[in-house]
Amino acid sequence: MDEFERSLKTHPLLEDLEPAYVQLIAACATSVGFRAGDLLIREGEREDTLYLIVRGTITIEVTRPGSAPSCVETIGAGDVLGVAQLTPATAHLDCRARETVVAIAIDNAALHRAMDDDPRFGYALATRMLARTYHRLARARLQQLDVYR
Amino acid sequence: MSANPYAVAPLTIARAVRELADVFTWTFDVPGGFAFRPGQFNMLYVHGVGEVPISISGDPAEPERLVHTIRAVGHVTCVMDRLVEGCVLGVRGPYGSAWPVDELKGRDVLVIAGGLGLAPLRPAILRLLAQRADYGRVTVLYGARTPADLLFRDELARWRGRFDLRVEATVDRAGHDWYGPVGVVTRLIDGVPLGHDDAVLICGPEIMMRFVARELEQRGVARDRIWISMERSMKCGVGLCGHCQLAGSFVCKDGPVYRFDRIAPFLQVKEL
Repeated sequence: MDEFERSLKTHPLLEDLEPAYVQLIAACATSVGFRAGDLLIREGEREDTLYLIVRGTITIEVTRPGSAPSCVETIGAGDVLGVAQLTPATAHLDCRARETVVAIAIDNAALHRAMDDDPRFGYALATRMLARTYHRLARARLQQLDVYR
Repeated sequence: MSANPYAVAPLTIARAVRELADVFTWTFDVPGGFAFRPGQFNMLYVHGVGEVPISISGDPAEPERLVHTIRAVGHVTCVMDRLVEGCVLGVRGPYGSAWPVDELKGRDVLVIAGGLGLAPLRPAILRLLAQRADYGRVTVLYGARTPADLLFRDELARWRGRFDLRVEATVDRAGHDWYGPVGVVTRLIDGVPLGHDDAVLICGPEIMMRFVARELEQRGVARDRIWISMERSMKCGVGLCGHCQLAGSFVCKDGPVYRFDRIAPFLQVKEL
């Protein structure tokens, strides 16, 4: 098993997923790296890639006119970036590598085709992504409450 | 505590330290000692202004120095914020229940604080560190609004420098000058190994504690292994006036520290 395959199989999103389904994902995935400061996703651009983070930290930033970017969340190893993009969408925030980042980049269009072709695979992956999305939504709501004020 | 629970002892502010823009710490020298258990609180009285319950944030091993960390948020505490070293206040206490640190010996302990909630937990952390060999893994997770709102920042840095304690801090938002995690404190729980016998102490805004407890339960932590510190409008301090009644208990007397299984059902009742 090479490093790429190991990273894919051991990523928390795909943990215990049927090997055949992991192979479907591997078919539309590639290993990528980013240097500190690189943008993985830029606000306003089409989100065509799903990233499974293997190593490093990514800041999710929002920029207000006249002020420096403000980080609203950091994500790291084991997390997923672009998890909500089960349908074509435009990025609403910048996602920047804070340090060297290693990730598995999955082509969204190819992934969606595979999910359409095999609805069982599509359902298995969609429920995992939905669970993560819900978890992050719950945390975002708590963050929005600004409870420490 | 004196035999009369309402007896107020006049104490002089020996040292005042600005912690954050709206948070300050007072130290009172008490030559005869002021024994307390971690998690307990005192009623602090500003003559002619009013009385407020404030958790003790000092080291239980140093009873001759009584320490309180206070946020200027209401009328009395805003008046307190203008007091200086040498001013005299009325102090009565200590009141309430305590973090069960002695009962937790031999176990891994996870401490989760949010905002000013680190202050009531500080005596417990200091006790754990003073008797470090008696406990398993000790982890402190701390959440604050921004990096500028991190309480006891120097002490957190010292704790992080120890090899026998894990300290993680996260903030809700930050600029590029912050290198730690950004996000709610519940997120930090993901990175902590939790065993079946671990104990968790939580203090912070009530809604944060509910979210944290829920996350812990999803990770398999039973409610009887979680303790939280509650806050209500406390007046008498001895469970008589009823201001702080929470279901069948009085927070000033039966709390502020509760084992979670005993209080959890009432946290879902909106009228309470």
